[in-house]
Parts: sequence; C-alpha cells; structure tokens
Amino acid sequence: MGNLKKIQTRYAFTFLSPWIVKLLIFWMYPLLYALYLSFTKYKSLGNTTEFIGLHNYQSIMVDPLFWKALYNTILYTLGSVPIATFFALLLAVLLNSKLSKFPSFYRAGLFLPSVTSIIVITLIFTNLYAKDGYINSLLQMIGLPHSEKGFLLETSTALMSVMAMDIWLSTGYYMMLFLAGLQSIPIDIYESAELQGANAFQKLIKITLPLLKPTLVFVLVIATIKSLQIFVEVYTMTKGGPLNSTLTVVYLIFTNAFEKTDAMGYGAALAYVLFIVIALFSYAQSKLVKNNG
Amino acid sequence: MKPIVNNKIISSLIINGILIATVIVMIIPMIIMLAYSLFQYPESFTAPLQFFQETPSFQNYADIFITDTFGRYFVNSLMIAIIVTIGNVFFASLCGYAFARYDFPWKHILFASVMGLMMVPQQVIMIPLYRMMVAFNWIDTFWALIVPGILAPFAVFLMRQFIQSLPSDIEDAARIDGAGELYIFFRIVLPLCKPVITVLAIYTFLGSWNSFLYPFLFTNSPEMRTLPVGLAYYIGRQSIDWGHLMAGASISAIPVLLLFILFSKKIIEGLTAGALKE
Repeated sequence: MGNLKKIQTRYAFTFLSPWIVKLLIFWMYPLLYALYLSFTKYKSLGNTTEFIGLHNYQSIMVDPLFWKALYNTILYTLGSVPIATFFALLLAVLLNSKLSKFPSFYRAGLFLPSVTSIIVITLIFTNLYAKDGYINSLLQMIGLPHSEKGFLLETSTALMSVMAMDIWLSTGYYMMLFLAGLQSIPIDIYESAELQGANAFQKLIKITLPLLKPTLVFVLVIATIKSLQIFVEVYTMTKGGPLNSTLTVVYLIFTNAFEKTDAMGYGAALAYVLFIVIALFSYAQSKLVKNNG
Repeated sequence: MKPIVNNKIISSLIINGILIATVIVMIIPMIIMLAYSLFQYPESFTAPLQFFQETPSFQNYADIFITDTFGRYFVNSLMIAIIVTIGNVFFASLCGYAFARYDFPWKHILFASVMGLMMVPQQVIMIPLYRMMVAFNWIDTFWALIVPGILAPFAVFLMRQFIQSLPSDIEDAARIDGAGELYIFFRIVLPLCKPVITVLAIYTFLGSWNSFLYPFLFTNSPEMRTLPVGLAYYIGRQSIDWGHLMAGASISAIPVLLLFILFSKKIIEGLTAGALKE
C-alpha cells in the first residue's frame, strides 16, 4: 500500500507540475509582487523603486478621483446588476414555459451577444449612441427627448448609456444560468401543485423562485464581480469622460499604472483596494440572500 | 370553461411576442454592423438611411486586408487562439486527472488554490504581470500572448469535475493488466473526456479570440496586435471611418458567429456544466 501511494504521489506531482509552475510564477508571485509594489513609489524613468510604506493607501483615501471612480463603479453595479438579473429571470421563465414555441432559437438569439467580442460590441454601440446614430435619429424622428452631442459625450447620459449596453450584453448569459437552474427543478413538484389547483402565478412564486435561489445568488455574485471590474467598455467608448462621469476604478488603475510614469505603485494599491471591495460585496451579497428566507 | 382556451392563446402570444422582440433587439446591432461593412459611405456619416440604394460590395473588406494590417491581426488572433486552446485543454486534462484520481500530500491545498484563483480578478495582477513580461523580455512576443492564457483555473476545475464523474473500473482493470499511468491517461481517460474537451476547447478558443486586456497590455508594435487590439486602436484614430471599422469588426465577429451556429448546443451545455457543479 505504501508503495502504491508513493507511485501515485510521483505521478500526481509530475502531472500537476504545469499547474504548480503556473501557480507559483503567474499567480502567487504577481499577487505578492503587486502587494509589494503597492507599498512603493516606482518610477519607470530610471527604473527606481522607493519603499514608502502605507503612503499610497493614505493617498487613495484622500484622492477625489478615487472616490469619484468608486462612486461611478458602484452606481454602475447597482444600476445594471438588478436590471439585467430581472430581465434574465423573466426571459428564462418565459422561455421555459410550455407555451414558448421555438426555445432553441430564442436561446441562441439571446446568447449571441455573450459570445461576441466586447470590442466589437463597444464599437457598434459607439456608433449607435453617436449624435447622428440610429438611436438618436429615431428619438428625434418620433419627437422624444434626444441627445444634443451624442449619448456618450454628455455627462448626464454617458454612464447610463454604457450601463444600458451592458444590460443588453449580459442578460442572455444570466438567462442561460437561470434556465439551467429551472431545468434542474423536478417536474413532479409542479404536477402535484397543479393537482392541488395552483395557477401559473402561484407556481412561480411558491415553487420556482424559492428553488431558484442558489442560481440567483450565483448570478448576483458573478454579475456584481463583473460590473465592479468594468474597464474595456470605458476604455473604448469614453476614456472615462466626459468630465470623469464614466471614470471607473479599473480605468483609474489602468491610467495610473500604464499612462503615468510614476504611479505604478499607486495603481497596485488601487488594485488591492478594488480586490477588497469585490470580496466584501460578494460576501455581503451571499449572506444577504441567504438570510432573506 | 371556454375562456381557458382563449387565455392559453393569449398567453402564448404574449410570451412568444416578448421573446421574439428580445431576440430582435439582440440581433439588430449585429445586422447594423454587417450592413455598414458592405456599403461605402461618406466620412463621419453615422446613420445612413439609404442602405438599400447602393449595391453591397466587399470593397471595405478588401481595403482593410490590403492597405491595412488586418490580415496580420487575423493570423495572429487565429494562431494564438489555436495554440492556447491546445495547451489549455492538454495541461488542464493532465492536472484535472491528477486531482480526480490520485491521492497525494497537499492535494487539498493545491485544489483549494485552483478554486481560490477562479475568484481573483485579472485586474489585480495585471500590473505585476506586465512588469514580469517586461523583465522576461516577452513584450511584443507570442510568449506573452500565449502563456498567460494556458491552464486557466476554471479549465482545471472543469476537467477534474468531469473525470471524477467517470467510473474508474476501466482504469483499475488496465492497471491490473500492467498498463502504465501514461498509457491509462492517454489511451483510456482522454478518449472518454471527449465531450468535456469539446466544450472546453470551444470556450478557450472563444475566450482567446475575444480577449483584449492582456494582448492590449503586452503588445506595442502593430505586427503583434490581435484583432480586438487592432480594432481598439482603429477607434482611437481622429475621424472614424465606419465602413472599414465595421468590416474589421465583422471579421472579428464572423468566425465566432459560425462557431456559435455550429456548436450552440455544446456552448450552452458547457456553460451549465461550469455553473451548476456547486
């Protein structure tokens, strides 16, 4: 027996050696190195690193740009996550009902944006949101309030426009997760409820939603994590503008680390702060949903 | 009770109506993209209302391939996606097999590292990773575009879950017959993993083909850009030339659309496989 275990150990570590290399070099080292960088002032000119302790973290706390970015990011998350989740749940329930005629067509159509490159999507929407783009032209044509400069160029609409795109983009993916959850609910529960005279609405409230709660928690957590990390959309569509109205935390990390010559340490500290914010959000969310029933 | 029949028809109309309307909303932007790419417009003209007054042509596609470097971007993207896919599937299968079948010291800690790292956002390590790429002299090389994409924690997790769900009788029988561990892995386990490998391969390919952040950070020269990075730089230019830009976007989107149409069932399967295993 001892011999078998020895052979197993030898093979296990041989097979796992790629993971161990990856873990140490491409995960543990960067995580620790980022932490170290966050305690330093690194200047790319001259390649100098100066240890400054907690100074970066102290600067973050009094940096108005950080608070603006955090505010925007949280606003973005609180706006897009519930709406996308609601639509996703609604569409999943509709799609899963016996009355839906072409379920695989609906599934494919709704999931399509999720497999498309985010760059391609931001490109299309930059065009749609422009001053003489389709959305604005349509609003103008039917006489509704429209944008003077284009939706992405006005402080009042820029963040909302990115949010709307994100809801459009991610609803299908979350719907797919809800569908998987719905299909794991045993049919006989519904059948016995029908025997007792439950209508469609009662079945939804009393059976479907409570049993879907694990999926709901999962969707909320990944949607929140994704929203708190929003970067590419902002980078390609608005560059954080106008007047920082779409500045997000990751965009701020990016500009500090890669567009300034002396703020990489500050960027690393920001990244750790974001990491903590994300961890807190996910923890609070799973607790909250668990306690409510 | 008569109304029930009517109610059913009305409910069906409402349900299918909402679903069809939503699908149209999802598809329209893609159609607009393709329409732009097939027509030529005066500069900075964003909402052409005369789409069908012109005959469509592939002129925009020809232009970006010949006068611009989109051909190079395309080849880069394709090559990287293929290598990352093969590497990811192969190494993740090896590691997944070890986690699923062997008993060894530190197994729990190592597997916990897989689970834990699935939660760490890319953005937290993008700065140190960039510094490392500079230190390795990997900026503007294929190494920087390929190595970070291989052996994603999720891939290891997926393979481990799948292999663990397979019965181990055949492997045990082969072992008694004197088969070596490598033989068992390559000849018995890998063929049985075909369904999950298909799913993982499609996902890895899509992820790599669409990935933006790392290729964007780790390349400087135009020859090393991938399609998404090339497109992002294109948007940054002074006046946007939508016809050509949308042709570029279509080139990036069309392979994905084809893959999706061919494998939509597998893609959806993979999504739920990843999501539902607790």
